[in-house]
Amino acid sequence: MTRRSVLTLAAVLLSPAIAHGQMAAVEAVQSVGASTESIASAGVQFRGLAEPMKGLRLRVETAWGDRSEAQSDVFGTAYPYGGRFDVIEAYGEWLTERRGLRAVKAGRYRTPFGLYNASDHAYLGFLRPPLIRYGEYWGLSAGYLEHGVDVLVGVPQLSLEMSIGRPGDVGEVMRRPGWNSTVRAEGSAGPWIVGASFVNTTPYEPLVEDAPGRTHFGGIDARWMRDGVQFRGEWLFGQYSDFATTTGGYFDTIVHTPAMGRVTALGRIETINYDTIPPYSLVTHRYSAAARVRAWQGLSVSLGITHQGGQQTQESRTAVDLGITWALRQDLTHTQ
Amino acid sequence: MAARQLRFVVAFAAAAVVAPGVIASHATGTDLPTGLQGVVRVAGRAAKEVVIWVDAPGGITAAPAKARLDQRNMQFVPRVLAVRVGTSVEMPNSDRLLHNVFSFRDGKIFDLGLYPVGASQTVKFDKAGLSRIFCNIHPTMAAYVLAVDSDYFAVSDGQGRFTIDAVPGGTHTYHAWRAGKAFTTGTLVADPDRPVEIELP
Repeated sequence: MTRRSVLTLAAVLLSPAIAHGQMAAVEAVQSVGASTESIASAGVQFRGLAEPMKGLRLRVETAWGDRSEAQSDVFGTAYPYGGRFDVIEAYGEWLTERRGLRAVKAGRYRTPFGLYNASDHAYLGFLRPPLIRYGEYWGLSAGYLEHGVDVLVGVPQLSLEMSIGRPGDVGEVMRRPGWNSTVRAEGSAGPWIVGASFVNTTPYEPLVEDAPGRTHFGGIDARWMRDGVQFRGEWLFGQYSDFATTTGGYFDTIVHTPAMGRVTALGRIETINYDTIPPYSLVTHRYSAAARVRAWQGLSVSLGITHQGGQQTQESRTAVDLGITWALRQDLTHTQ
Repeated sequence: MAARQLRFVVAFAAAAVVAPGVIASHATGTDLPTGLQGVVRVAGRAAKEVVIWVDAPGGITAAPAKARLDQRNMQFVPRVLAVRVGTSVEMPNSDRLLHNVFSFRDGKIFDLGLYPVGASQTVKFDKAGLSRIFCNIHPTMAAYVLAVDSDYFAVSDGQGRFTIDAVPGGTHTYHAWRAGKAFTTGTLVADPDRPVEIELP
């Protein structure tokens, strides 16, 4: 999509809200990073958010990112680094509380499987995505996007989300055309939030020639949080095609107690097992520790160290990654 | 017909009892409750999101109230919230994303953790002071909650205007605060016929 198309889309999405004096805002997030894997990166994301009338939300998000080397998952948390602008999300969403219906979303949006929001992958301070969320490891890529309709029903404590659409992926891993569906159930009680997801979709392009069948994954996820300590985990299982299965998950801890002030500490253990015809199988584990510091207003610094066991997918077993992010927001209308 | 006549008599009698008191009150001086209206400016320009509160005799007399700080479209709404000490502030998540609301620096210290879409948590602001509120996931989300030791407070709107209900008439000490600046103190005269103009440095 050209820059002019993006700007036009943003203008169309935001203009009703501005005209009616409702909520409209734009955000820009710039980031730079460097890793001991001899990789440097730069990226920027632009977001437009609007609420032209009560209950109707519009959102558009674009991203540009580039890396000095592509053979790594470093900095690949939630956005592609292909050196071009991509529209990540562009949708309208109607939020309501009528007879159990809570939201209907239409447009281009992230596949609602597991812990899928960009918030979960991109902003917490981990500079690498979970192994099961990096498409080139045959998990469920963080770059998967739907062109479709998504419906959320239920109550805050127990909800069901259903999506039907066609692939609109970004990045290196793109699914072949076809219909796909995703279902996610989520419940919460006290400090717990638990979920279960299922997706049935098309395999990605490189497997078209020799990989029959469809991709279908099931997944479970859980979070527990109290007093600034969060334990979180996600487990995925299923097949990428009739000849390949993928199983894996991660468990991480995120600590941000009030006494820690601007610092958030993170730790993660994870594994993935992609089982197919040798030599394409992959069994690997990873251990990560990281810290993120909110330095000043929207400026934050993340430092991570990663050690990999099993089959190696990165340049060296141990890598240190540094990322600096600066986020800005401009409200276009008065919201009080 | 008899019922209508009876209602008229009762209404007339009530008016006859109440009216003299009202008239007398207006005639006796400046310490009766009145609405305080005004405009706040910085360097001559209308200033929004300024908290103004008035020291009034008797301290806090009203019952603890409830207030709301929404998380909506990846921002806190309102960005500046003034509450009376003892107020419980609801903090619902009205986004389809998880947020993590916390305050670490001063004022009320807390970390609410993550909570799902549509859920809400409540924080009681039980001492006076300024709390800076953030989301640990989204760095552009920030808000201020200022708990004041007064029944009489307001936040200026986009045109710098504010209204504080039921301020006793007369001369009072006021305080003002806006984001990133020090607290300011001055005096004002609460008079329903004369809107107050506050100029901040």
